[in-house]
Amino acid sequence: MFQYILKRIIEMIPLLLVVSILTFLFIHMIPGDPARLVAGKDATLEDVNRVSIELGLDQPIWKQYVTFMGNLFKGDLGTSLKTGLPVSNMFADRFMPSIYLTLLSMGWALVIGLIIGTLSAVFKNKWPDHLGMVTAVSGISLPGFWLGLILIQIFSVQLGWFPTGGAEGWKSYVLPSITLGAGIMSMLARFTRSSLLETLKADFIRTGRAKGLKESSVLTKHALRNSLIPVVTIAGLQFGFLLGGSVVVETVFSFPGMGRLLIDSIAFRDYPVIQSALLLFSIEFILVNLIVDILYSTLNPKIQYE
Amino acid sequence: MRKANLWKMLFFALVCSVLLVGCSDENGGDSEKGQKGSDKEIVIAVNENFISMDPHNTGDTNSNSVQSAMLEGLLGFDSDGQITTVLAEDYSVSENALEYTFKLNQGIKFHDGEEFNAEAVKVNIERIMKDESLRLNSRGFNLITSVDILGDYEIKVTLKTPYSAMLTRFSVAKMLSPKLIKENSDDIPKSPVGTGPFKFVEWVQGDHLTVERYDDYWKKGERVKKITYKPVPENGSRIAMLKTGEASVIYPLPAQNLQELEGNKDIIVSKIPSTIARYVSINTMKEPFDDVRIRQAFNYAVDKNAYIKVVNSGFGLPLDSVIPSKTLYYVKQDVYEQNIEKAKELLKEAGFENGFTAEIWGNTNSDTMKGMQFIQQQLKEIGVTVEIKSMEEGTLSDEIFGAQTPEEAKLQMWYVSWSSYASDVTNATKPLFHSESIPPNSANTAYYKNTEVDSWMNEANSTGDATKQAELYEKIQSTIYKDAPWIFLGVDELLVGTRSDIEGIYVDPTGGINVSDANFK
Amino acid sequence: MEFTSTVTEKKQVVPKKKYSPVREFWVNFKHQKTAFFASMFILLLIIIAIIGPSIAPYDPYKPDYDATLQGPSSEHILGTDEYGRDIFSRILVGTRITLSVSTSSVLLGAIVGTVLGIMSGYFGGWLDRIIMRSSDVMFAFPDLLLAIAIVAVLGPGLNNVIIAVSVFSVPSFARLVRGSTLEAKENTFVEAAKSMGAPHKRIMFKHIFPETVSSLIVFVTMRIGTAIIAASSLSFLGLGASPETPDWGAMLSMGRDYLGTASHVVMMPGIAIFLTVLAFNLVGDGLRDVLDPKTKNE
Repeated sequence: MFQYILKRIIEMIPLLLVVSILTFLFIHMIPGDPARLVAGKDATLEDVNRVSIELGLDQPIWKQYVTFMGNLFKGDLGTSLKTGLPVSNMFADRFMPSIYLTLLSMGWALVIGLIIGTLSAVFKNKWPDHLGMVTAVSGISLPGFWLGLILIQIFSVQLGWFPTGGAEGWKSYVLPSITLGAGIMSMLARFTRSSLLETLKADFIRTGRAKGLKESSVLTKHALRNSLIPVVTIAGLQFGFLLGGSVVVETVFSFPGMGRLLIDSIAFRDYPVIQSALLLFSIEFILVNLIVDILYSTLNPKIQYE
Repeated sequence: MRKANLWKMLFFALVCSVLLVGCSDENGGDSEKGQKGSDKEIVIAVNENFISMDPHNTGDTNSNSVQSAMLEGLLGFDSDGQITTVLAEDYSVSENALEYTFKLNQGIKFHDGEEFNAEAVKVNIERIMKDESLRLNSRGFNLITSVDILGDYEIKVTLKTPYSAMLTRFSVAKMLSPKLIKENSDDIPKSPVGTGPFKFVEWVQGDHLTVERYDDYWKKGERVKKITYKPVPENGSRIAMLKTGEASVIYPLPAQNLQELEGNKDIIVSKIPSTIARYVSINTMKEPFDDVRIRQAFNYAVDKNAYIKVVNSGFGLPLDSVIPSKTLYYVKQDVYEQNIEKAKELLKEAGFENGFTAEIWGNTNSDTMKGMQFIQQQLKEIGVTVEIKSMEEGTLSDEIFGAQTPEEAKLQMWYVSWSSYASDVTNATKPLFHSESIPPNSANTAYYKNTEVDSWMNEANSTGDATKQAELYEKIQSTIYKDAPWIFLGVDELLVGTRSDIEGIYVDPTGGINVSDANFK
Repeated sequence: MEFTSTVTEKKQVVPKKKYSPVREFWVNFKHQKTAFFASMFILLLIIIAIIGPSIAPYDPYKPDYDATLQGPSSEHILGTDEYGRDIFSRILVGTRITLSVSTSSVLLGAIVGTVLGIMSGYFGGWLDRIIMRSSDVMFAFPDLLLAIAIVAVLGPGLNNVIIAVSVFSVPSFARLVRGSTLEAKENTFVEAAKSMGAPHKRIMFKHIFPETVSSLIVFVTMRIGTAIIAASSLSFLGLGASPETPDWGAMLSMGRDYLGTASHVVMMPGIAIFLTVLAFNLVGDGLRDVLDPKTKNE
């Protein structure tokens, strides 16, 4: 197992290199010239060209890449074209709020999703199942920003229980994490249910029952564990998505996270910020995937990694 | 690993996440207080993030607003957007418009204790002159040939060629502590040090920026202890903050939400005519738009009042010249009132009795998309089919400025807006109508070329004589308005929402928020 | 606790008879009450998608500046929008756009993703590594950036929205199918088929693919909902349909500024989206119970 993890981590390095090259090419391929945006609406061509030279944008792409990577190895993520601030400085304030929001949304979605999914499967076609699935299906069917705006209207404007946005204090995390987690909770509940129903019909469960095992022990010891595989996949995927920040929720709640920063940077073609953010997301994503793969083999010893 | 371990892990993850958030709460707890007014803090919510706190390198209104709480220039703007003295006691401009002499106020100290004097001014001006990466450098300061200290509190700046917008530039170029410039210039964009009524406290990127009262401020008056600026892009959220009292001031107040506030005694809404002109620029070098009758027909097809009602939720004024009414030397023109018959007749004369198909470009803001749809609906009335192409800003600017010659240009119509300082009529006209400004060189996207207008603009720029300038700009406005290189639409009215327990905060026509007398009633 | 009854229950409901597969499916599906009802709703939507433009009471594009933002009334049963256009007519006409964009993008993504996922899980080794790592790379690209890039290269328009949305779903499908494939690969019948020397293609599509179908169906239905919402965010970003098009997502996004004052502008298309996504999800659940090789009745 440890060898496997080590191998995967070593594998990450060339992968990240490839990612960095691809993203670099990719973001420079998108039309748009940051120099013009930096220079301003009323700038003349002369101004734009001067800004371009100043920012090093007149250099060939490979040279810009080498400069970027060179600085990266020195621990310098570069300077934002838009703000003139160090990229690391801009990330510092936004990274942790995004992480907290992700963990919180994922945390409640996972717990509630598993509970609803399990209850629904166990009480299949009875009222807990119907109630659970109605909740879950409604949860996925709501567009995120719609839900967010409605929550703000009710809980912030009408009742005044929670702030409308920002990231100061636990209260400001409540509504965004509900909005962000709702869809995921529903998705997990549905997957848990369908997966659990499948396993409950499997041969080894029947064997267990035939051997006279208690139903509750069949459920917890065998069925649940086996049915968690697809659930873990989905949870892992969603976790990875969330780490990239959620533009919609961050916008609705004016949440100072990575998603909004990235979108603003894309709009401005702020190459150093986009490039560093994408690299950061890739690292996070690969790590999450590694954890998911490890969980696989923990859950199902039949799946083994050499 | 056993199943029990798995559950433990999940539980652990959850606990961690709760704890982490808990910790952040403790750290941020202090700044959360005070909104109740106990230690008197005012929260101002604006629509966009601040970009930079470097006053010499700022292009956005919101950064400017925040800076103006902390920093002051030799000159500044009054509530109408016209130029007044601030750190300078008095100023004069030589007849050839090349020499600017400033007499400075005495006894002023920067927040770090440095003294404000001619030497400090020189350090600031030279910073902008020498550093080409600064935005202000290419806007006048690169024309400066010398900065001469005439006395401890007197300084003279000499230009190489006349530049009529220079006074506006001196108002924009706020003064930083010379110590900061010399010793910690990397900190300028993050934490500036000036002479203003408030000093910098902290800036949490993307979340808030806080300033605190500077007790040794040189002007008398009572003001609030703390002001926090928050970027809140979502209109609905900003309104909600004002209603709940989380924010004392919001700008801009979204017009479509105004009705929600009716009858709310805790909130005061103020309306300020702006210098933001909304229009559609028409490529006057491209067929069939090169025919002035087509362009005039388009103008006659559009109902400006309906535009203001539908697109701007009823707030705004018709654009009745090529510059907004608050801009220096503005003269009202004979407006194109909606007249479908006349428009159709003009089309017929131009040989397009059965209409034609045209393309309009714009960015992806919801306001722009609303405006483009409106133009589409109005031109349909005269038989012109408009196809809307909304493009992301970066792509759009590539499409427009990628064209190296007028012949290459694919642009037909562009739904866009322009704003400049009320005192800066040069910037409100030259980049838009001078033939030197045709893309890719600058923003004359109407590809408007009129040698007479060019020469008037040149003349106005090289004289220091205000009467002469006024005369020239009158001719410029009436000529361009008749040539109709734009579909003239409207001028925005800025809406500000303030809680009724606040006083001393106002917004100027460029959208700058002035807080120097901000206080609770 | 006793749960045994849940397993046997269903067998009593549906008596064992010899039906053709289609008929068997139909009989079983009819017993899924909610799913059946939801599928009727989708059928209705499809009919509206076809005849919508001819039954709309008003021209969905015609503005009336004297009747903007009016609430529901006998004249305009769902009210009017910010240009005074009839919202009911716009929703009717928009049904076609919403349905066709979402289904075609999901199907496109599902086909590509499934093929990649099965190959990845079945062959393992370097192929698996390449496919999975490239899907990691794709994931690392936030959806919106991909969308902007795709639209920037191809230009705005609905066809490009379909491509953009399907591109985001490919890696999800690939990973999901790979997960189920890994599991199915361990099954004895796959081992048996392998040892009997069956060709890879046959094993993959005859033996493994059916094992992935249940999760796939659930995921496809979910993705249709997600795709409707994703397409609407693109429309909102101005990268989708031209803004005058009565696309539900665009209507919802353009109207959101009016939530506090004329909430029907936001609520009506929101409800239309909600119900449609809901219907697809319910049908997916029902289909799953019927089609799944493991839970279906012998």
